[in-house]
Amino acid sequence: METQYVKSPLIRTNVTISRIMWDVVIALVPTLIAGIVFFGIPALWVVFLSTVTAVLCEALILRYPLYNKGIFGDGSSIVTGLILGLILPPTVSWWMPIVGSIFAIALVKLAFGGLGYNIFNPAIAARTILLLGFTAHMVIYTAPFDVVTTATPLLRPLSFDWSFIWGNYGGSIGETSVIAILLGGIYLLYRGHIDWRIPTGYVGTAFLFAVLWGIDPWATITTGGLLFAAVFMATDMVTSPVTPMGRLIFGIGCGFLTIFLRQFTAFPEGVSFAVLVMNAIVPILDKMTLPIKFGAEVSLERRTRTTITVAVIILLSWGALALVSNFTPEYRPVVAEGVYLPLEETLQTADYEKVDYKGTTFYYVGELDKPERVAFTSDSRGYHGPIHFYVVVDAEGVIEHIQILSHRDDPGLGSLVTRESFLGQFIGKSPEDEISLGVDVQGITGATISSNAVIRGVREGLENYVSAFLTEEEKTTFADGTYIGEVSSFGGNLQVEVVVSGGKISQVKVLKHNDTPGIADQALELIPKSIVANNSTDVDTITYATVTSKAIMKAVEKALATDANDVIEVTGAPLEVPTVDGIYQGTGTGYKEGLEVEVTVEGGKIVDITVVSHNDTPLMANVAFKQLIPAIIETQGLVDAYTSATASSEGLFAAIEDAFTKEAK
Amino acid sequence: MLTRTFTRGGASIPHRKSATENKPIVSMPAPEEVVIPLQQHIGAICEPIVKVGDQVKIGQKIGESKQYISAPIHASVSGQVTAIKDIQLVDGRQVPGVVITNDGQDDFYNRENNHINKLSAEQIREVVKEAGIVGMGGAGFPAYVKLTPPKPIDTVLINGAECEPYLTCDHRLMLEFGPELIDGLKTIMQAVGASKGVIGVEVNKPDAIALLRKLTKEEPEIEIVSLKVRYPQGAEKQLIMAALNRQVPSGCLPAEVGCVVNNVHTAIAISQAINEGTPSYQRVVTVAGRHVPDPRNVLVRIGTPISKLIDFCGGIIQQPAAIVAGGPMTGTIFSNLEAPVVKNLSGVLLLGQEEINLSMNNPCIRCAKCVDACPMGLVPNMLALSGEHSKVEELKRLSVMDCIECGLCSYVCPAYRDLYGEIKKGKNAVNSKEAAV
Repeated sequence: METQYVKSPLIRTNVTISRIMWDVVIALVPTLIAGIVFFGIPALWVVFLSTVTAVLCEALILRYPLYNKGIFGDGSSIVTGLILGLILPPTVSWWMPIVGSIFAIALVKLAFGGLGYNIFNPAIAARTILLLGFTAHMVIYTAPFDVVTTATPLLRPLSFDWSFIWGNYGGSIGETSVIAILLGGIYLLYRGHIDWRIPTGYVGTAFLFAVLWGIDPWATITTGGLLFAAVFMATDMVTSPVTPMGRLIFGIGCGFLTIFLRQFTAFPEGVSFAVLVMNAIVPILDKMTLPIKFGAEVSLERRTRTTITVAVIILLSWGALALVSNFTPEYRPVVAEGVYLPLEETLQTADYEKVDYKGTTFYYVGELDKPERVAFTSDSRGYHGPIHFYVVVDAEGVIEHIQILSHRDDPGLGSLVTRESFLGQFIGKSPEDEISLGVDVQGITGATISSNAVIRGVREGLENYVSAFLTEEEKTTFADGTYIGEVSSFGGNLQVEVVVSGGKISQVKVLKHNDTPGIADQALELIPKSIVANNSTDVDTITYATVTSKAIMKAVEKALATDANDVIEVTGAPLEVPTVDGIYQGTGTGYKEGLEVEVTVEGGKIVDITVVSHNDTPLMANVAFKQLIPAIIETQGLVDAYTSATASSEGLFAAIEDAFTKEAK
Repeated sequence: MLTRTFTRGGASIPHRKSATENKPIVSMPAPEEVVIPLQQHIGAICEPIVKVGDQVKIGQKIGESKQYISAPIHASVSGQVTAIKDIQLVDGRQVPGVVITNDGQDDFYNRENNHINKLSAEQIREVVKEAGIVGMGGAGFPAYVKLTPPKPIDTVLINGAECEPYLTCDHRLMLEFGPELIDGLKTIMQAVGASKGVIGVEVNKPDAIALLRKLTKEEPEIEIVSLKVRYPQGAEKQLIMAALNRQVPSGCLPAEVGCVVNNVHTAIAISQAINEGTPSYQRVVTVAGRHVPDPRNVLVRIGTPISKLIDFCGGIIQQPAAIVAGGPMTGTIFSNLEAPVVKNLSGVLLLGQEEINLSMNNPCIRCAKCVDACPMGLVPNMLALSGEHSKVEELKRLSVMDCIECGLCSYVCPAYRDLYGEIKKGKNAVNSKEAAV
């Protein structure tokens, strides 16, 4: 029981500590709701566990709140538990929020003397402990609604994007929705519990430095927990300065450090470390920034001196930073929005390159033609949602490393697929292996769907890899020449000219279009360049100019398909066309098995050839078939293989021959 | 209505003035016996100039001091001096006092009527000094000292803010003694040679503002300034900031920025001293709080035991949780009801349990609400911590002596810490250390 005194002033505000704490809880509700909406029940479960643990932990250690103030005490343990839950990924194992809350309450808060005495923000410190202690469990971020394949927002060229405002992307439970965070922040400002200086200083400085260092500023402030930290964690009363100037400097320091850490270190937690470092210097900030008291004369001379000092310090630090960024080798941030790809560790060198091929990003070491090691991500559908993998293969395509980046399956059985005992089975497998459940990979009892999803994903990932790196003939080459293609686009017809030289697309020119100037400009400029760079018509579209982007790709595709001069020649090898009219079905092996054709014969002549199904790369195979089939019908014989898709061509021929060995339907 | 206020810190606090603000001032009959302390002001204690057994009349001087900063004491009833003994004041101090038994005659001693037109500044000061007038808002600083400014004065400011909750005596005085107030203001202006007079009143007293505006319609040199309701607007430096937009430098008096500030009651007392020749022998006290059956403003003789004053307002029916001399923000909590009414006692509050909040020692959560609220731009949480441990050097670095003891830091503290008490302790520590040097 604490002592109470009758002392003036006898009237006191009704804004007590518990009132403040409950206000913070109210302010956190929108982010919690957003988290549940976007990440589902698992998010609620994480927050529930962390909050209950925090409350119980404090009540049990302090004992007296159990009978004096009720189990909630002053409410501060609820705030800590809630915030910790909200800054965890929704996919963490069930024990993580529990362990985290115990760290936060017992170690970071109560061991320092309890509320008001802790140096570090308990929730941030606990998350950092979890991150350092259980890295693999912490960097699993999930994409909500399956909208983003691999949740790598910072790797994509993006700017102001509404999905980041609503929070509909991968990240920690409470950190994604800008709207929800701002709602909470406005409430706290209205109640007078946070000082505008901290969030404004934080976000403003982060924005400024993002601009200066060439990082997308909007993405910087709307993703990655920065805003949540600026509103709810940097403003934590206990661990922030009490003087107005101190709070402004605190906010600015947090903003600068966050961007600095993101830019120059490989750590995903710029925000956490920035706030912790600033927490540590709060006493000195307080001491150095005493407010100018009422009636204290500030001479012009002193004001001028202060201004000059501050300006000099800023300029010096600026110069130092410029030097640092000049002499620091350009560091590729492998960390994007918490998706941590252990590229350096698994590729065993920092000297890797990145290449995009058909929607997958490959990281390779060595030459593109003959990579020593390749890393890529792949995904497939699990029981509750996508499972994202990270796979590293050696020069022969043998799996060296595999890990699951995220999954949404049950924390119990489903998560067993993340176990070494299961994933270990894939090590040493190559594209030649069958990789199928029960044959060479044993599934997990009770989690067949999850197991199968992983197996399927690995297989597809390997196939992607093979088509990107190993299959020379399947790699995109085109016959040299100039092609014209035309499709209808947004505002009318769009015509392109494609120049192929040395088997590769060397130039793409948009000859005419009627799309909206301004909006389409970027697509008109960038998409042709991108097609040339990738030697592919399957490139990333430009935001806000999707239609134009796609139209250009389609036109190039069409151009390449229409006028392939000198490709097809009659070889003179006539086909033995059966005399019985009917439809003949045959199968062949193109680049892959399962190429099925139906050949219609009328009056001893082939009148139609339909490819029923095939498993080859659609673009190249379809182009080949489109070119070859009319030629075959025309010559009633086999023709030269389509140079860019020899395997598919051969497969087609084999299937036709196979069909003629069978009875007509 | 255009309102002004001070710019730094401050907060809105509840007024709780409704019980008494609309009731006229009631005059309380003189008690059978008064106990008049010989120190009711800041400054030297007076020597008694009467003996036991002497007959005295109302307004007769019974104590005076030769020191510059002091104020003479006058009899508040006519009758016989029955004892001269140490008496305890509401703040617990023991001071010598004169006990007079009332003979019920209410005879006045030698009243002299005057008019300011006939008086020089020096003569006004002399009258005010002889009348024993002190700052009646609470400070108790001898008024004639304020009328002798060390620097040229252009503006006289009358403090009608009355920002403490419960207290309405200044409000009622403005309504009922408007002409005397204006006259008192003009007297002070004449004494200090100021050309401008300003009365600052918070807008929760619209009737007083309207009345004073009406009374000063023909007086271009007098301005009635309506102030936004904000605590601590009645503090001298904050009032000057609010009404005149002048900032009194740290450690300086208002004269530094060319003004003097006087309380409403003081100005009225000065007017009465000049025009009626009545010295400071009575005053208006607000008696309020949940446990007062008949809360009101009472015109009471100096030296009346507070118990008699409470009895006049219905007596104590239920034991109050706290008895306060002054307002609930800065007032003194006391239990000795036999302590007398003194010149600077503005209110007696009998507060119920549900009206007050107890001070607690919950941990400081560094919310900085005290820093944001401090009207002097200090850092109360750090001051309190240093005050608790009497760290004199640290206290000085944190400018403890700039604290105006408004109590707002404690008011806004969500942990209900006793910041006000600790800072006062710190001030005392600094004072005693400096005295020792």
